[in-house]
Amino acid sequence: MTAAPTVHESAAPPGLWRVVDVQAPPERLAMLRILTGAFAVVYLTIRLPAFARLADREFGFDGVGVASALTGPVPDGMLVALIGVTFVAGLAYTAGWQYRWLAPAFALGCLALGSYRGSWGQLLHFENLFVLHLLVVGLAPAADAWSLDARAGRRRADREPTSYGWPIALAALIVVITYVITGLAKLRYGGFTWIVGDTLRNHVAYAAARLDLLGGDPSPLARLGVRAAWAWPFAAAAAVVVELAAPVALIGGRVRTAWVCAIWMLHAGILAFMFIGFPYPLTLVAFAPFYRVERLWVERPGWLRPARAQSVE
Amino acid sequence: MTAGAVAALVAPVVLDRDSFPLSTYPMYSRTRGDAVTFVTAQAVDADGSASALNLRVIGNSDDPLIVAGELRSAVRDDRADIRCAEIADRAGSWDGLPADAVAIEVVTERHDVVAQVSGAASLLDRTVHARCEIEAP
Repeated sequence: MTAAPTVHESAAPPGLWRVVDVQAPPERLAMLRILTGAFAVVYLTIRLPAFARLADREFGFDGVGVASALTGPVPDGMLVALIGVTFVAGLAYTAGWQYRWLAPAFALGCLALGSYRGSWGQLLHFENLFVLHLLVVGLAPAADAWSLDARAGRRRADREPTSYGWPIALAALIVVITYVITGLAKLRYGGFTWIVGDTLRNHVAYAAARLDLLGGDPSPLARLGVRAAWAWPFAAAAAVVVELAAPVALIGGRVRTAWVCAIWMLHAGILAFMFIGFPYPLTLVAFAPFYRVERLWVERPGWLRPARAQSVE
Repeated sequence: MTAGAVAALVAPVVLDRDSFPLSTYPMYSRTRGDAVTFVTAQAVDADGSASALNLRVIGNSDDPLIVAGELRSAVRDDRADIRCAEIADRAGSWDGLPADAVAIEVVTERHDVVAQVSGAASLLDRTVHARCEIEAP
């Protein structure tokens, strides 16, 4: 397979068009489908008990997102059906089966479940990015390669490479904008004090104290960390700089990878000190739109190749 | 399409309205002092000494953000007594319940969080919103 242009190596004109009007092979979008789908299905499986327990809730409903159209909790049967349909659609999304119908259904199911779960007094932010990615990939022709639909001949062969490139570029842009917003939020709500004061140390102490008072086990690193009060302003400044620097990821190459490493370390630090994990970026799936991810399969190690292919090579 | 998506992402920031999946990402973005108020539930013995429960007993979940958020909503919406009864029901069949525990209290406590994490005395204030007896299973 010939090397295909990346988001950053398109022959498109410079400037904004370099980002939004790119070319990509169908395999790259297909791999993004497989990665996001596999992540979301595993996430749903692990979080299934949490979603199912929403059926026990009676009070405190305050709809957010698409759930804001509801006046109160939905019947238990409807919630169970939504979870079941979303899970099955997720398997179809990942495998690329009946993609035209089931991929949007999966994305909308995740949107509905995330909205519903966030409608009980605590709006979490773990699911925002991957739900946005599912919406983009789910509405794109991501099953034209490496899918059951492609095997069955249910694919259009006449698409332009931009048909596969722009959803990837959009997904990358969503990552960039999301992190810029998180950086701006700290300056907007916390101001410069967020960086130079004790705020970050107090946030770490707060997360540990909350877990302790609720009977959980806080991170042992929190106790060590709060003693080093001098270090937190540097960590706070680094966090804001890395978040605001997200657009450099669109440059590509080593700059992109350096940023991905930096933001991953930020999330790893949050997990280590606060026991708050953002699984989508921590598994690196969130950053897949920045890379030629089809290489994961095209350039897979020899032990993953069929024996006959190895002997031919 | 792309311009519309960018506008949608930026809209919550302009409107300062957090939602899902479009968000202002306000978590941990405000300044925070070292004195913080928490809502929690505790087991208390006959002398009034409190001991911690666990996430599953308090909120029937393993996610502290959800447990804390729901308990906070219950206190805010004047439903602390209902939530207290639910917690007492779960606590009654919890193996980890101290033998001398007689009741559950839903409380607001104010702590010096840096002292709390350091293992020092940290309680600054305590308000009981609801108290309910624990019945043996």
